[in-house]
Amino acid sequence: MNWNCTNTEERLSDYIDGLLTPAEAQAFKAHAAGCDDCSKMVAAVSSLVTSMHSLELEPAPPMLVNRIINATSGPRKEKVSWTSWFTTPGRWVQPRFVVGLATVAAAVLIVVYTLGFTPSKLRKANLSPLDAFRSANRSAHLTYARSVKYVNDLRVVYEIQSRLQPSNEPSPESQPMPEQQSQPKSGNPQEKSQTGPKPGHSQARTYAMLATYVNSGWVETCNASTRLAFFAAPMSATNRSAR
Amino acid sequence: MEPDAQLVHDCLQGEGSAWEELVRRHARRVFNICYRFTGNRTEAEDMSQEVFLRIYKTLPSYRPSFGAFPTWLTSVTRNLLVDHYRRTKRDRVTDSMEDVMPQIENKESTARTPDKLALESELSAQLQQGLSKLSPELREAVILRDLQGLEYGEIQTVLQVPEGTVKSRINRGRIELAKILDAMGLRPN
Repeated sequence: MNWNCTNTEERLSDYIDGLLTPAEAQAFKAHAAGCDDCSKMVAAVSSLVTSMHSLELEPAPPMLVNRIINATSGPRKEKVSWTSWFTTPGRWVQPRFVVGLATVAAAVLIVVYTLGFTPSKLRKANLSPLDAFRSANRSAHLTYARSVKYVNDLRVVYEIQSRLQPSNEPSPESQPMPEQQSQPKSGNPQEKSQTGPKPGHSQARTYAMLATYVNSGWVETCNASTRLAFFAAPMSATNRSAR
Repeated sequence: MEPDAQLVHDCLQGEGSAWEELVRRHARRVFNICYRFTGNRTEAEDMSQEVFLRIYKTLPSYRPSFGAFPTWLTSVTRNLLVDHYRRTKRDRVTDSMEDVMPQIENKESTARTPDKLALESELSAQLQQGLSKLSPELREAVILRDLQGLEYGEIQTVLQVPEGTVKSRINRGRIELAKILDAMGLRPN
């Protein structure tokens, strides 16, 4: 059989795919064995085809199937019963669930300890409905009484502050010099309005008021926070005027 | 009745799960055809979605006499790819071998991004580079025959060309692809 380079190139795929007759295959091989160009071409294409046949399919993008389904038939609507929430695997180890559970537990603990409940002191008798009701009733009344007392204390503090703040009487030791008033260092008019009560005068008035209320027994009723607020007012006024 | 035909029948009866099964079964293959043809994963993903959208709309018109469902699916995929290729032809540099050869060095350096190398095996990446240099007619013939494993008769149905043309395109495609890879210094073993 007369076989040349053109035949080899035209029938190369038939040779690779095994579609040549035995006679054609023999002529093909005989020509390729004696022709450098054809031999290289046959080797290169055979190697390429073998490589392509051995190649695995590329993995599809993870969300491709869902994306196609959403674009065609729409998202699947499954019937979800309420029990499936508990039976869904991994539901209990989701970070948002764990964080939520921890937050709820912390909130419950804070409320329980605020109400004076101590788990270590829990007895079986405490679990009876009557005792629980009495305990809750007592806690509710105590809480109400504390709230009333707190509001009353606040009223006293506001009373004291309202009597101290409106005083505009100048104090002799903190009276600025007339030259200083006529020549302010800064041209900002807001600075004048920001000057607070004079420290010497405020402290004197504060101590006088304090003595009055100590005598009347009001201080005993003030809790720590209201006392702090009471003393904080003249001190902050002193700091502002010092600046 | 073959499994795909049964699923198609169930789809036409309104069973959503049958359509999902069809998508799951063929999405990877369709994506691979699109990816090998376009050379771009994002573009291939969009094209795959478009293919299944077309299939979903035209499923009632499918008859088993048209051929097996995978062959029909491949035909739809191929037709959409050709349409897409024609639509975007103006935006691309010509794919003819003569024009591409002088630019191979530059294109190779830009195409071999770390992301791509991480996603693909070296052989797959090399073949993809070579395929992108082939003309669309030869590229689709090689993809269907050597990467999708279709028989000549199936390719003839998909491409709607005579068997002699199919064989000729496959043969020329293989030889040109080997030459391109050789010119790029890539020799898949």
